[in-house]
Amino acid sequence: MLNGKEYIESLRGLNLEVYFFGQKIKSIVDEPMFQPHIHTAAMTYELAHDPEYEQIMTASSHLTGERINRFTHIHQSIDDLVKKVRMMRLLGQKTGTCFQRCVGLDGLNAVYVTTYDIDQKYGTNYHERFKEYLLEVQKNDWMPSGAMTDARGDRSIRPSKQAHPDTYLHIKERLEDGIIVSGMKAHITGAINSHEIITMPTRTMGEEDRDFALSFAIPADTKGVTYIFSRQTNDTRRLDGVLDGGNPKYGIVGGEAIIIFKDVFVPWGRVFMAGEYDFSNELVETFAGYHRSNYGGCKVGLADVVIGGSNWIADAHGINNASHIIDKLTEMIAMAETCWSCTLACSYEGYRTPSGAYHIHPLLANVTKLNITRMVYEWMRLAQDIAGGKIITLPSEKDLENPETMDILNECFAGKEGFSPRDIIKMLRLIENMSVGAGLPEAMHGAGSPAAQKIMIARRSGIDRKMELAKSIAGINKDKYFEGIIGKDEDAHWDEVKKKIKGKKVQIY
Amino acid sequence: MYSIGLRYCGGCNPQIDRSTVIKTLKEGLEKMGIEIYFTTDRQRTVDVILLINGCMHACLEEECLREGDSPQFIPVKGEMVDSQYVREEHIPEFLIKRIVDLLNSPSHSTSSQAN
Repeated sequence: MLNGKEYIESLRGLNLEVYFFGQKIKSIVDEPMFQPHIHTAAMTYELAHDPEYEQIMTASSHLTGERINRFTHIHQSIDDLVKKVRMMRLLGQKTGTCFQRCVGLDGLNAVYVTTYDIDQKYGTNYHERFKEYLLEVQKNDWMPSGAMTDARGDRSIRPSKQAHPDTYLHIKERLEDGIIVSGMKAHITGAINSHEIITMPTRTMGEEDRDFALSFAIPADTKGVTYIFSRQTNDTRRLDGVLDGGNPKYGIVGGEAIIIFKDVFVPWGRVFMAGEYDFSNELVETFAGYHRSNYGGCKVGLADVVIGGSNWIADAHGINNASHIIDKLTEMIAMAETCWSCTLACSYEGYRTPSGAYHIHPLLANVTKLNITRMVYEWMRLAQDIAGGKIITLPSEKDLENPETMDILNECFAGKEGFSPRDIIKMLRLIENMSVGAGLPEAMHGAGSPAAQKIMIARRSGIDRKMELAKSIAGINKDKYFEGIIGKDEDAHWDEVKKKIKGKKVQIY
Repeated sequence: MYSIGLRYCGGCNPQIDRSTVIKTLKEGLEKMGIEIYFTTDRQRTVDVILLINGCMHACLEEECLREGDSPQFIPVKGEMVDSQYVREEHIPEFLIKRIVDLLNSPSHSTSSQAN
């Protein structure tokens, strides 16, 4: 297993073609605009070596029996599912932002589950191929990015009918030794600091979209792959000094990129779905289920940080004992723990798939994520409320260090005794970073937008059975248990009751 | 006469109508002229145990694995039987085939067990 520093050094061995701010980036590892994201991903490696956290950060490989980083593990039990979300919360607490590596973990598990099922139906050997690949991932402790979302163009038109053929990633040519693919994937978290890319289809494909029902893995620096790194809120503050960035060590959101595939060759040994369109929905839903369950872990870890920060700032301002502050903090805690309860529940209610890997409870995972799309906004609103308007009017670090303005600013930002003005500003900047920036829409749209969760919830709610329950209690359907309790037919029972009332044979009528 | 032990999970929030599945299964076997005695008595020795879990979480399977039962059982786990996805309406038909295969297997006669 790599540690944090070794992971960063391992990235130097890759030669990715990355563009940002109109320039081709020479060294990803040395670029200050990327470093916070790289540090965050490095935390997933670093904590695996701390005996204090190894119980949840590592696992025993079901393929080799060796100790591996849990981010490369295929869940073998309910306990693994639970430890996975515990790991998410822990890493959220340690970084205060998205640590990126869960997408690849979910991709590994989803492809593992689906390739098994494809092979059962078609007699293909995708699953064995994938296991060979998984062995490499575990042995090298790779971080693969999970590339699912295509550019999608006009959403009302099927992938094969789009005006631009590369709107969705697809097979251009099938060769004896592999396939040639082209297309693009958008919003891919951790893409520029991953060793590998695992691709998956973004939606259910029909027969006419056969060439778009595609999954494969390639090294991140494969010829023909280009990355365009995306902007985040206040990103260039990283170039203005340490303080203004808010979370200068770990950044904000996951560092997303567009990945362009131009005539990329993928050998058959790395292809895990090539035209089995009837399994595209399974792959999408399996991945989405795993990924949505994570949000009740990682975002709750972030909530732990912002709740702690809000209490600290209230203390620094001398208002932490005010009843309205206690009330707001309690609200934040209750919401965070509600989301935590959801993700624990969807893990504990998980099940063993035919492949042997365990999957979360899909309905509960979607409920988890739907709550996140609402509650993150609410607890961040309360953090802003407690912190005060300062979070959007703070002066720059340069003014804090300018001898002309330094003294008056220190006076202006002084708080209760024992809290330095600089520390107060540090904490306010962190709350600004977490509650004003890109982390909010990320909580909304990451792992799928609310509408996607509602589709899954509606599909899996079993509403017909709920109607039967209501009909039974309303007396529309026979209730055999009620008849057991009263010892007779339900209709006969009510006739008797009515007679008693009519004949005034009851005390109150 | 062959016998099948029925074990039901607690039924907190089932994805399938467990009693309808069993009712349809019994009717199907009867139509095929296969006489089978069904029992929920756990002490009775039976040929096969049918685990009727309402959902894929399959509490009952976990319980049986903990108890170290013989693998001579057929687990229904919501819309999954054994390790195959089966839609609810097809479960009885699928079970009939599995039961017939099990009862015809050479090993079944030696594996009768307490339910």
